[in-house]
Amino acid sequence: MPPHLLELRNITKSYLDVKALRGVDFDLRAGEVHALLGENGAGKSTLIKVITGAHAPDDGTIVIAGETVSGLSPDAARRLGVACIYQQPALFPALTVAENIALRLEPASGFRKVDWPARRERAAGLLTRIGADISPETEVCRLSMPEQQLVEIACALGAGARIVIMDEPTASLTQKEQHLLFAVVSDLRDSGVGVIYISHRLDEIFSLADRVTVLRDGESVGTNPVDEINESALIQMMVGREVAQIYPPSESEPGEVVLSLREVGCAASGVKGVSFDVRAGEVFGLAGLVGAGRTELARILFGLTPADAGEIRLRDAVVTVHSPRDAVARGIAYVPEDRRRHGVVLEMPIAQNMTMAVHRILFPGSWLRFGAERRLTLDYIRDLAVKAWGPEAPAGSLSGGNQQKVSLARWLATKPSVLIMDEPTQGVDVGAKSEIHRIVRGLAKKGLAVILISSDLPEVLGMSDRIGVMRGGRLTAVLPGKSSASTVMAAALGQAEKGAA
Amino acid sequence: MSSPAPAPLPKTRRVPWSHEAVLFLLLGMEWFYFNSVGARFGSIDNTFDILRHSVEIGLLALALTPIILSGGIDLSVGSLLGLCAIVFGKLWRDAGVPIPVAAGCTVLLGALAGGLNATLITWLRLPPLIVTLGTYSLFRGIAEAVTHGVDTFTNFPSSFLFLGQERWMGMPAQAPIFILVAVAMWLFVHRTTYGRSFRVIGYAPEGAAYAGIPVTRRLALAYVLAGAIVGLASIIYTARLGQARADAGTGYELLAITAVVLGGTSIFGGIGSIHGTLLGVAAIAVLNNGLVHARQPREVAGLLTGALLLIALSMNTVTAKLSLWRQRRKARASPAPQPPSSSP
Amino acid sequence: MKADTPVAGIAGGLVRYSREFSVAFALLAVLGGLAVLAPSFYQPQPLLSLVTREAPTLVIACGMALVIIGRQIDISVGSQFAVCAVCAGVLASMGWPTPVVLLASIGCGVLMGSINGLLVAGLGLPSIVVTLATMVTWREGLRWLRQGEFVNLPDGLQWFGLGQVAGQWSLVATSLVILVVIALAMRRMAAGRFIYAVGADAEAARLAGLRPHWVTFATFALLGGLAGLAAMLNLVQSPQVDPKMGTGLELKAIAAVVVGGVAISGGRGNLWGVFAGLLLLATVSPALTHLRIEAYWEKAIQGTIILLAVIADGLRTRKTGA
Repeated sequence: MPPHLLELRNITKSYLDVKALRGVDFDLRAGEVHALLGENGAGKSTLIKVITGAHAPDDGTIVIAGETVSGLSPDAARRLGVACIYQQPALFPALTVAENIALRLEPASGFRKVDWPARRERAAGLLTRIGADISPETEVCRLSMPEQQLVEIACALGAGARIVIMDEPTASLTQKEQHLLFAVVSDLRDSGVGVIYISHRLDEIFSLADRVTVLRDGESVGTNPVDEINESALIQMMVGREVAQIYPPSESEPGEVVLSLREVGCAASGVKGVSFDVRAGEVFGLAGLVGAGRTELARILFGLTPADAGEIRLRDAVVTVHSPRDAVARGIAYVPEDRRRHGVVLEMPIAQNMTMAVHRILFPGSWLRFGAERRLTLDYIRDLAVKAWGPEAPAGSLSGGNQQKVSLARWLATKPSVLIMDEPTQGVDVGAKSEIHRIVRGLAKKGLAVILISSDLPEVLGMSDRIGVMRGGRLTAVLPGKSSASTVMAAALGQAEKGAA
Repeated sequence: MSSPAPAPLPKTRRVPWSHEAVLFLLLGMEWFYFNSVGARFGSIDNTFDILRHSVEIGLLALALTPIILSGGIDLSVGSLLGLCAIVFGKLWRDAGVPIPVAAGCTVLLGALAGGLNATLITWLRLPPLIVTLGTYSLFRGIAEAVTHGVDTFTNFPSSFLFLGQERWMGMPAQAPIFILVAVAMWLFVHRTTYGRSFRVIGYAPEGAAYAGIPVTRRLALAYVLAGAIVGLASIIYTARLGQARADAGTGYELLAITAVVLGGTSIFGGIGSIHGTLLGVAAIAVLNNGLVHARQPREVAGLLTGALLLIALSMNTVTAKLSLWRQRRKARASPAPQPPSSSP
Repeated sequence: MKADTPVAGIAGGLVRYSREFSVAFALLAVLGGLAVLAPSFYQPQPLLSLVTREAPTLVIACGMALVIIGRQIDISVGSQFAVCAVCAGVLASMGWPTPVVLLASIGCGVLMGSINGLLVAGLGLPSIVVTLATMVTWREGLRWLRQGEFVNLPDGLQWFGLGQVAGQWSLVATSLVILVVIALAMRRMAAGRFIYAVGADAEAARLAGLRPHWVTFATFALLGGLAGLAAMLNLVQSPQVDPKMGTGLELKAIAAVVVGGVAISGGRGNLWGVFAGLLLLATVSPALTHLRIEAYWEKAIQGTIILLAVIADGLRTRKTGA
């Protein structure tokens, strides 16, 4: 048995009130491809951050090449031969490929001659080794995303990396590019490198990996050789057996169709031909993996990236939504995914955050009316049980769950008929999470059409009356609310009978 | 479970107020000092003199406050003042346009010039710094070209010069205009949704778009409004000096930006106030005037203004850096013994 | 889009340096136009004088290019230039030998540049406001100390005692040497490449093991030193030092850099483009005179050229960014 390049024992890590890893064991041997599988939020990215030294674990042991390391820093990890290829490569766009590789590999001393021929030669050599057809002279900004990933791999190779982590490397690749990449990964394996391969595509895992470890809720559910396990077993491992949390029951009877999409698409954001209806009083869940196009669809409906194909109907009237302003005027509200950057303005008081989208309604003639603002804010603070010392508290001083409530209140104040919520419970503690669930149910009961985008599968299953599943920018299935987790996951992974709408 | 952290005070509100309080204190100290040094400094006449001389810079600073509040900058205001003054003079003397009409056209021209900045900044999404650097050169260049660098417009009727040189109800005649603009700007920035929008854009330009705020239109408004106010300032400037020249307002952009930043408006946007800007203008104006009364050369005032700006800028950053450094030192000291001992 | 190796050599270069080529083309067009419309422009002596006058600006534009490639800006160079010139002038009139005066002038510039660098890199303050403040401070400080008084220079200093023509050639040569040295260093020395990396993405540069703060500091200090050298190159052209000199120089330098294809957002551009940009701007005013257009339009035309250059860059990034 080949030696262990990396061993993790009993790794735990929490962020504030969220436990991201609870005692994970993991190991990687020389010359193997070890796939890491799990839903979004299962702890994969945290595990990577621990291995690359970006985050220190709270507890547990890291053994790299037989030596126990403590206080691993990104620099030390790199020296020990750990390299990570992210989905979004961190390259210098205006510089050439050869230079990008050189900046990673050459010493950091400034007073030396730059040997351009040697730089180009080394870059060309590394690129040939991974079979990439890229000229070292090309500027990185002219490369496609997959080509940039290949450059990253070349960097890792050039640095003599023994442990290469690939985070969803094929997410944006074409078929042909995928095969190229697979060949590169196989070459790496044959040369004795250990590859940690993260992917949502089960077929890739079966054709490429030697072993697979499944993470769920920050725990390792098991490590198996790929030839001893099949797809349905993997899906079972990912979703678990029971839905642990109690979700508030659906009490509303879906009414008339409020929003209906017909073949809606947007070339710039990669959403194609999406059609579905949402009724008043209904929670329509949107499931799918990261990058499946759910947030992109929400941005289309909200006018941030207007649709360029298909039609959007609101209560039987065809509408165009060119800007968020249009969306607000038509009663479409969007609680964005990135709460801290888009959902609230951290430096501003709760009151100003809550009234931000209703300036025109609340302040006729543009004059601020502090009394009205305060009343509205106090109402929402009470209704949504926002825990803060007052309407003047800056949003940044609140906990994540309460910030989310402020963001939600901003949109409820617009009195929308369609409410899109994007990952409303991400990074929120358990108590606030079930509060938000109750609020969403209550809103549906009042006749709102709610579109709930969530990567938390139990949440989608527990909250939705119907579930739309997206994959690669398309809506691939619309399933009833009581579907099983494995059906939804299979649709999201593209395994099941496609388009069972 | 999360508890709603009751301890931290609302920082966004506290910082500008404390900044303005410090500035107020500084202003008081300046006043007290110069009053004890210069014989005539504290007199009503001199106070009005200070006011008279700070109206144009004050208007420019007021115009710049919404722009800087929204995270932008406008370096072209001084040059635009020169261009507007020239066009005003040209309209009156060469085209024979009556003064009130000429004044209206000048304000309109200012707004148009602001519109040029706004178009390039919002439509092409170019950095405001470099766009206004270009128009800084362009506006002054046009002014010089129109006048051939030497033509000066003088001999304005005394009814017009009254605006810049005489008293009206005891105070300098331009003071009521300035007070009117200041009050209007204060209401605009602090009491309307527009001012609120500038702040949101300054703090989080993307977040503003997500909140349905028309970012492009708001930014354009800030630059156009600034242009119009500069047009107004150019008329007052001409009336005060009794002449319009192509080099009018040279270097005013620096003084105005200094006043705004000194007044507590963050150059990164979001934080700031009109009353802070007014205090900043006053601090600079009193310093200038007081040093003359203290028989110090005029240059010392410029020197102190530059130094004051640097200190005002550094203060926030240095305190933030210090606390961060302390935190890091604390963090480095505490968790070090933990990892090795905790392995099973 | 993949650039295949055989074509990449020429076509790739054309695409990559299209911005520089377009400036060079504009310059050639202006020069060509002058050759047809105003051949009197090409008299050796006036042409040499013109180039000599631009020599100090070229030196400063080189330093400014580094600062802007590193994603900062320095609008205090004009004031630094004046302080260095007065400082050097006073020392020279006290009878110090020329080489020592030269070193003192450069040292004075490095010191002022370091102060900017310290405030920007060390405290993380925005460079535009920092250099705005230092610009006012140096200028007013100088005016306070000198009260607008001119410095009379000793006879031996003019043209470094070489006589006018030889002196002019030596100034032009010096500035060209500076240009070539910096241009080559930016291409062939690791430190030069670090400036590009920091300007392109300071965070990525930090992750790649560079020290962005030091790089930023160094570019400001270097620009200060070059301002000191430029002050000397200007000093020897006249018998007196006017303490008001260098007003507006920062704009000339920034304009040359921006027109020459250096991206104001950092990380892109090269010194050859800056050279072409400077020559293009420098030919505007003599071209105006020779074409009998009033020279008062110079500043307006320069402003227009700057705006056109930025608009071109804006449209470019808009296309590739989408």
